[in-house]
Amino acid sequence: MVRFPSDEWIKAFKEKLNKNKIYKEVAKIWEGDFLFVVTPDDRLKKEVVYYVDLWHGICRDAYLVKGKKKAAFIFKGSYSNWKKVINKELDPIRGLIRGMFTVDGDSKILLDQAKAAQELVNTANKIPVDFED
Amino acid sequence: MNRTIDCYFWNPNLRIDSDLEFTYEDVGDSIELKKPVFTVEILDKIIESIKQMRQNYLLSIDIPSVIDTIDRVNNLWMNPKYNGRKIAREVLPTLTGFSVEMIESWGFDHFLGIIKKENLPVFGKLKPDDFKEFNKLSDGLVKAYGEIKVSHSNYNPEVIGHICAGNILGIAAFEMVMDKLVDAATWIKVSSEEPVFGALYARSIEEIDPKLAYTIAVLPFDSGNKVVNEFLFSKSNIVRATGGEQARKSLSKVAEKYKIPIAGHWHKFSFIAIAREYLNERASEIAELVSLDVSAWDQQGCFSPQEIFAEIGGSVSPIEFAKLLAEEMEITSRALPKGSNSGKIQVLDGYYQYFKKEMMGESVKIFPSAKTHQWLVIYDGDTTNIEPSPLFRVIRIKPVNDIIEIPRLVKPIGKFLQTVGVAIPNDRLIPFAHSVGEVGATNIRTISGMTLQKAWEPWDGKFPLNELFEQDYIRWVSIDTNDIDKEIKNALKRKRSIVDKPLNIDRV
Repeated sequence: MVRFPSDEWIKAFKEKLNKNKIYKEVAKIWEGDFLFVVTPDDRLKKEVVYYVDLWHGICRDAYLVKGKKKAAFIFKGSYSNWKKVINKELDPIRGLIRGMFTVDGDSKILLDQAKAAQELVNTANKIPVDFED
Repeated sequence: MNRTIDCYFWNPNLRIDSDLEFTYEDVGDSIELKKPVFTVEILDKIIESIKQMRQNYLLSIDIPSVIDTIDRVNNLWMNPKYNGRKIAREVLPTLTGFSVEMIESWGFDHFLGIIKKENLPVFGKLKPDDFKEFNKLSDGLVKAYGEIKVSHSNYNPEVIGHICAGNILGIAAFEMVMDKLVDAATWIKVSSEEPVFGALYARSIEEIDPKLAYTIAVLPFDSGNKVVNEFLFSKSNIVRATGGEQARKSLSKVAEKYKIPIAGHWHKFSFIAIAREYLNERASEIAELVSLDVSAWDQQGCFSPQEIFAEIGGSVSPIEFAKLLAEEMEITSRALPKGSNSGKIQVLDGYYQYFKKEMMGESVKIFPSAKTHQWLVIYDGDTTNIEPSPLFRVIRIKPVNDIIEIPRLVKPIGKFLQTVGVAIPNDRLIPFAHSVGEVGATNIRTISGMTLQKAWEPWDGKFPLNELFEQDYIRWVSIDTNDIDKEIKNALKRKRSIVDKPLNIDRV
């Protein structure tokens, strides 16, 4: 079991994503890095930021950010909502429309890459996870 | 022989038609409208079916699939040879009184563009604290006024009802699209004046994705049908309504009775403000663009301008601008003529009211259309207060010493303000927008785009998607561009594409 959120979790995510053949195919034209921001709520005390560099179906880098980092897209939501996404209880785009997540960057590009986004979620869902609560 | 148009839509597999009575209304030009006479039992079946299809289908597909369907549906409508568009072209001029040119060109070619895939407002909820001053959103700017206090929230509405006014084409289509983006089943009461387009649009969704279409019911019924109205309200999580003062009063009562939140978009007032920096060698271009705002939908929309404030100090005076506008109104009216509902009486009323003033030596000058009362431009140098127009392309131009005086002039009708068409340079636009937003205006748009809402813009101070989830006390004010000169340049191209290539009816 891997704790979420932790650096170990994002490393496991990178490893699984790079083994995901469907992702490799559907994300073959994707170029852009992300900051996945997990904001605190009653279950998480401190904000956690992940940097994930995605390039043509490959995850080139992924780590827990200490300090400041910039990326093409910043996808931000509370810990509880991230937990729902990882458990596949919430579609991230539905979460975005409902204001449960926010995105800095062109959300239309994300919509065009929805299948890739879906595979990111599918990958995250396959990591045996131990949540904070 | 009469052509019969079905003004309703629901899942045909319900097989309820044989249980219903239908009325047939002859509306002229050999067109008859077929409308069902609803009973509560039948409506109950319809509502249950849209709920079931939502549960079994809509919730099981991802949002990008929904958006792809919407895109394909819109591509159908962008094709002048599409059968639904052909029917609309044949029927809507008779029903609405708009010309076929207005419906085809401004309606289908431009207005429907707001629900194209690339324009859909899927950016989530904005934080008002990030928009305490005008801040960038899409290609424009927005600012939040008011306090963050949520009075209603439901992030999973099951059934959303819509009561659509008939003055503008396309609202029903917009509402169907918005509901699918929030995973809701939809019932739409189409207006008695124009009950056709909603059903045609729903059928076009059925052509692409029948199951998605069967989460929608288009229901024509009389506004006065209390039983039907109340039943549908009672079955909804939220109702969004557009209409006038009478609709506001009666629908608010029903909403209150059934404790159903209502997102109301009621009677509004819009106007134009032109700064002296544009009243120079560019004044003719500005007149070109303003003529489109005045002509679009024959001024019937809440976003149509009723007055123009022109700033003194440019090399072209406000009265000279009135003359330029009159010239452009004539050109625009050839490309977008009036239809059968010409509003001749209203135009004549405006004419005689100001003819007397002109004769009495007041600072008034009338510029009438050459024939058939297509339009009327009035320069009124005597009255500064804002006044409603008789509409049907009757527009008054009033001089102001400084555009920053305008918010004070329009303040008495602040709660009714909506769209302000502007030709104001970027550096003066923000302070103007701040002040006019403060008194109540919600949408500041570059001239010629007043009736062409961008999909990301708030609507009467609320974002259309978020309004279906939450009601709060924040009022969002938008400026449709962050570079007005660039927007004017693009607007001129659009305007000239309409005027220089008038619709060839035979071609379509």
